[in-house]
Amino acid sequence: MRQLTMILSMLALAGCVAMAKVEKGERAIGDRLAVKIEGAWNQLDGPELGPAQTWTMEGLPIDQLLLYSGVKDGDLVHASGGDGKRKDFAFKANMQADEIVGMFEGMLTRDGSSFKLTRLEPSSFGGLSGFHFEYTLIRKVDNVVLTGVGWGAVSKGELFAMLYMAPRLAFFARHAADVERIAMSAKIRQSAQ
Amino acid sequence: MNLRLIMRALPDLLLDAGGDLAHACSTAGQWFFLSLASPLLLAVTLTCATQSAAYAQSKNLAPGFDFLPKGSTIVIMPTDIELFEISAGGVHEPKAAWSAAAAKHFRAALDARRKRLGVTTVFLSEKSADETAEINALHAAVARAISLHHFGPPSYNLPTKEGKLAWSLGEPVQKIKERAGAQYAFFSWIRDSYASGERVAAMIALALLGVGTSGGQQVGYASLVDLNSGKILWFNRLARMSGDLRDAEKARETLDALLEGFPATK
Amino acid sequence: MFCGALFTTGLRAQHPQPWNAPARFARPDLDSDEGGLWALMDRQERRLRRSPFVIRDHSLNNYVQDIACRLGGKHCPDIRVHLVRTPLFNASMAPNGMMQVWTGLMLRMENEAQLAAVLGHEIAHYLERHTLERLRDIKSASAFATFVGLFGAAGAIGQLATLAATFGFSRDQERAADRIGVLLMRKAGYDPAEAAKVWGNLLAESKARPDGGGASTLPMFATHPGAEERNETLATLAAEQPGGTTNATTWRERVRPFRSDWLREEIKLGQYEESVSLFTRMIESTPRDAELLAARGEVHRRHGGDRQFDLAVADFRAAEQIGHEPPEVHRGLGMIYRRRGASREARASLKHYLELAPQAPDAPMIRSYLEELGQ
Repeated sequence: MRQLTMILSMLALAGCVAMAKVEKGERAIGDRLAVKIEGAWNQLDGPELGPAQTWTMEGLPIDQLLLYSGVKDGDLVHASGGDGKRKDFAFKANMQADEIVGMFEGMLTRDGSSFKLTRLEPSSFGGLSGFHFEYTLIRKVDNVVLTGVGWGAVSKGELFAMLYMAPRLAFFARHAADVERIAMSAKIRQSAQ
Repeated sequence: MNLRLIMRALPDLLLDAGGDLAHACSTAGQWFFLSLASPLLLAVTLTCATQSAAYAQSKNLAPGFDFLPKGSTIVIMPTDIELFEISAGGVHEPKAAWSAAAAKHFRAALDARRKRLGVTTVFLSEKSADETAEINALHAAVARAISLHHFGPPSYNLPTKEGKLAWSLGEPVQKIKERAGAQYAFFSWIRDSYASGERVAAMIALALLGVGTSGGQQVGYASLVDLNSGKILWFNRLARMSGDLRDAEKARETLDALLEGFPATK
Repeated sequence: MFCGALFTTGLRAQHPQPWNAPARFARPDLDSDEGGLWALMDRQERRLRRSPFVIRDHSLNNYVQDIACRLGGKHCPDIRVHLVRTPLFNASMAPNGMMQVWTGLMLRMENEAQLAAVLGHEIAHYLERHTLERLRDIKSASAFATFVGLFGAAGAIGQLATLAATFGFSRDQERAADRIGVLLMRKAGYDPAEAAKVWGNLLAESKARPDGGGASTLPMFATHPGAEERNETLATLAAEQPGGTTNATTWRERVRPFRSDWLREEIKLGQYEESVSLFTRMIESTPRDAELLAARGEVHRRHGGDRQFDLAVADFRAAEQIGHEPPEVHRGLGMIYRRRGASREARASLKHYLELAPQAPDAPMIRSYLEELGQ
């Protein structure tokens, strides 16, 4: 017990992992993206978690909302520091929609999970011309089947995107409408304020 | 503080496919989420249990749920119990005889409890378990979420849940209901390790050198699910250094600890 | 005993040690370490059975199960094959009879005999109880549970290679399994010369990597060391008594319905050099296969770069010329033309893609590209 609480204290002391409340209303994500949320969400706070903000309603093992703002050419879309054995996935400014989706697919399947694209279509996101996609992800570690949805747009060579995934049984449907509203509310500013 | 030594104190099974805790904060993103999804990270969400009994009571129960109607039928989902022996070198060896005995004792203890509660229990067949694999896998993920965000350190709590046990598997649980003919489902998962004789000797030797090692841990969870709504009505998480499932009498004690806060019948 | 007799009468060559298959294994006592491992494997197998990663197609399962059965002889009833959707080369057999074959391996087999070589090798490990030997060896050294991860329902693949390096079979065990595997192949009527080809192909693919073949990163190499020598050893063993079937035609027919899925998964791995090496080998074997050319073209295209685009276009055009090409060929061509500013060609190709696959998941996106390109 002592050892375990030591580890946890280390994590807490290191500032690792705390869940913070995201209040309803306007919310800035990075310098150039803003979204409006109608009800509170929970945000994962911690160091070196990668370029995305991670939100959840039911808990990280269940559902995740990833928000990307201002990902630059050459930036990884996930946290760095792997053992070098797994491929890294970086955004390139000249990527087309299908390539961006392919990049996210690569990120989500690094651990052996299985990804299947079910829809890719043009869509506005953040007030810009972008794309919307839907997918199924079978999580390798515990065999849970997730439904996923995403939006993205590139502005001035920077990527802005939102991904949401939750178990296809019961959970995805529960928050999908909320997530869609958040996506529709997104605004991408032309330049950092 | 030697991190590696501490890491070896955790059952090695924790550091499996999903979760290397040492990595959790440095290689996060999807990898981190997966480590959180790992069935075995739940043991890492341990804290010394210091809550008062009353608080613990409400923490275990969904809001508005206090008792089970007498005469209810509960389907006992296949219990996932693994018992390990830790050898001197820290190797966790699965002990089939122990696991088999533990499952037997667990069932016996459940049976005794059932009689006290005045409910009927049925068991899910292997075939039905195969057919309900997806919802069962989903329950395991929800159990990890509850362990992490409701029974973990306070900073892990989800503010939107407002400290309540408010999780539901929704309608898909009807699949279990149809096959089992029950109103409630009882899920359980236990990982238990015991120090072998040599291990104990090694521990003592190391302790003399000022090094802390683990003698064994008992981690697990149990939940009660409403098979109409899918709501998790009751949940408890076990995480301690004591307990013994190898012995019938002590197994009953383990079950009692696991069933802490279990609703009474009325 | 029956098995032993078959071996001694069936062999013309002189083998240094005649080998008899053991009797079927009884369930070990729960109290023993073997019993513990067995019971744990049974639980792993239950999980595997329920996993969405397992292929449930009866026809394919029966086909592979039959091959395993013929190789296993009297052990047939104890061997249970599970085909797992994972785009890596791996097969393993746990001491309780649970056998896993990953689809990455299935993709790389050129014929039935090659699969028989792999399965025979794994069955040999099983018959000789090598996993139990290894377990007893390493028991005092390290984490037992991680050992289990190698032979149970595998979790994250990334770890497998690292673990395998520590807990793989010894060289002696490998040599024995090779030798016995060849015997099993022969007995079942397969041409053992195919066994050497399996490893040769895998080595070639591994060497194509930019780092020149860090072979140990492949789980299969790590659990089965000495891949380089085995090529030669197996070739020698086979030469002692040449002959046998490969059943290439049957193989191609039976896996045909699944191959496009497996090709797609391989492409998605994003391992450019290995995939090109693999697909090139496959194309050399069956040059008039539009699906293979389409796959290689797609790998070139995804890699990007002027030279790769040229290679991709060549492959796509070759596929088109053969006929019955997958719709992705036209999408691939269209996207390259679009990138290069060849609007007219891009329009034609993307239109063709939509004609062939109007319900494709990305059809709406492609339609919007067409609009941009002007109708």
